[in-house]
Amino acid sequence: MVEKLIKRSIHEAENPIEITLREAFCVLEPKLRPPFPLTIPTQEGYTNLNSAILYGILCEPHMAKVHVKHLHGIITDGYEYFTSILVKIVIELYGKLVDSVKRQLIWVTHEMVDVSAVGYDGLLVALLRQIVGGDFGEENLWLCFEMVNLFSSKWVCLLEEVPLVLSGALYVFLRLLADHCRVMNIPKIESLRQMEIAFCVRMLRENFSLCLRIGRDLVRLLQDLVHVPEFRSIWKDLLYNPSAFKVDGFVDISQMYGTRTSRWYFLLRITPEMESQLRFLLTRVKFGSQKRYQVWFARKFLAVPERKGVVIDIVRFICCAHHPSNEIIHSDIIPRWAVIGWLLKYDLKHYVEANLKLALFYDWIFFDEKVDNIMNIEPAVLLMVHSIPRYIDITHSLLEFLFILLDNYDVERKEIVSRGISTALHALTRKGVVQSLDVLTSCDMLSPIFKERLGKLLSDWQFQHRKEFQSTNIPPGGIPSSSSSLESQTSA
Amino acid sequence: MKPEETMEPETTLQPLKNIVPAAQNNINAKFILLDKGRVTLEGQYKTCLALVADETAAVHFQLWGDECDVFEPGDIILLTNGIFSYSRNNLVLRAGKRGKAQKVGEFTLAFVETPNLSEIRWAPHPNDSKKYVQQAVVSPHSRIFIPPR
Repeated sequence: MVEKLIKRSIHEAENPIEITLREAFCVLEPKLRPPFPLTIPTQEGYTNLNSAILYGILCEPHMAKVHVKHLHGIITDGYEYFTSILVKIVIELYGKLVDSVKRQLIWVTHEMVDVSAVGYDGLLVALLRQIVGGDFGEENLWLCFEMVNLFSSKWVCLLEEVPLVLSGALYVFLRLLADHCRVMNIPKIESLRQMEIAFCVRMLRENFSLCLRIGRDLVRLLQDLVHVPEFRSIWKDLLYNPSAFKVDGFVDISQMYGTRTSRWYFLLRITPEMESQLRFLLTRVKFGSQKRYQVWFARKFLAVPERKGVVIDIVRFICCAHHPSNEIIHSDIIPRWAVIGWLLKYDLKHYVEANLKLALFYDWIFFDEKVDNIMNIEPAVLLMVHSIPRYIDITHSLLEFLFILLDNYDVERKEIVSRGISTALHALTRKGVVQSLDVLTSCDMLSPIFKERLGKLLSDWQFQHRKEFQSTNIPPGGIPSSSSSLESQTSA
Repeated sequence: MKPEETMEPETTLQPLKNIVPAAQNNINAKFILLDKGRVTLEGQYKTCLALVADETAAVHFQLWGDECDVFEPGDIILLTNGIFSYSRNNLVLRAGKRGKAQKVGEFTLAFVETPNLSEIRWAPHPNDSKKYVQQAVVSPHSRIFIPPR
């Protein structure tokens, strides 16, 4: 009896990947026991042998060491094909895998790192994406533990070979810590939390220049951890003593604000299944026909209260990593702002809602046309404009939040935030995302104070630009580094 | 090509809008389950009416036995050798004894709720009484599973 790779319910079709691997295993099984044949296989024979050995490793734990030895003996492509099937299994099947197969998967991943297999970076990324935010189930916490353990124990080699993946792992664990530091009374969470904190702190303290590659969203994530003692000291150094990080040229936190975060990082906190459903929604579903899809999506991903925090990651994903084509923009497909509006209405805890709005406006407050993309800031303005008049409460609460950011996000660097927001507003009108902002500034349903402040932001920008035209010699980022109230803001 | 491959060509899937009532297990289609009604007992077997649809049409689907518990809204179902016929005066699609319904995915299938083939009055073809043709639209969408607004 051949063991199974995945759990399958009755009336569920067999998975083609499993069929291919199992068939290879069944055909080649006699050759998978020592003594191994010395013949060199053909190309087709080689891929089949890879598949058969992989199936053996995953489904016959007691034989895994023999299989892996066999694998090392036959490899001629630097494990490229072998790793590519592993990646496919993780992306397409992870959630359905039998528990013992998951254990084997992690074990063989360690092996692939040890032999520097071609493509093992992709395998690590695929596994990181399978960790579900806010899921405190045993299986999910086990995966967190295994991954943080892998990144910590293979630190030196990963730092040398795939530093970017380490920065991705930092992004993932900082984000997970925001959830893991909020709960109590969950068995094993304390030791997991300590390992995650140790990994993140080591990254930030020893390899800050690598961490800087994440860009401004690193600040956004750290902000959520300001109440954790280990991160409080990092915050203090970021604000008052940036030289503690020993990175030449890093003198102020505003340098982090100025770096747009690559879309790659946002994908790390969205499972592939969630990504494919969101992309389907945003490319195939007509505006007005989304209701059923939204119900299904919510039932699958947002039903457990602790897991609703993923809406923050979804908003970052939609704003920064899913940019529809012009053809889609001008079609009757549901627009991005409408999906975000739906999430915003989804009965969220106060801090989740605030973080969702921060995620929505995060590229506004540091907007710089030289580095930023108009598509990242488009959903927020369209959501505000299109919510008038029926959902005026949304427009109102978003504008209110924008002004809270302007006043409080970084009191010592208010000028940066103010310039970011007004530049964003101008770019949005100049590029025709909205015809004009009159719809906001002359809306009777909005508070006069908001309208006045909005008007001031727009006129300040014109004034600023005239000044910049006259003198081209403004020092870049010439903002002095001193104290900031960010810490008190975020810990409130 | 081996002889058996020519004997059994891969089944082609029909768009739902093309299915016609017949006393045959001749329907092969892929669709998404939109809604499920209450499970009732028909003798000793569970049965449950559901709404399914693809990009071309919707139709009522009768779930039978464990199908009632296993399939959920949002599931993509592959039906092979199903039957579209009258069952206790309702025009329904179902797997029947000789057909098979299998879950092949979730979510990522576009659908329409109009026309609904179970809400069409069919009449025998004037020249061939074994064939059915559409006679009138009873309702543009399901009267049992009202589209959400």
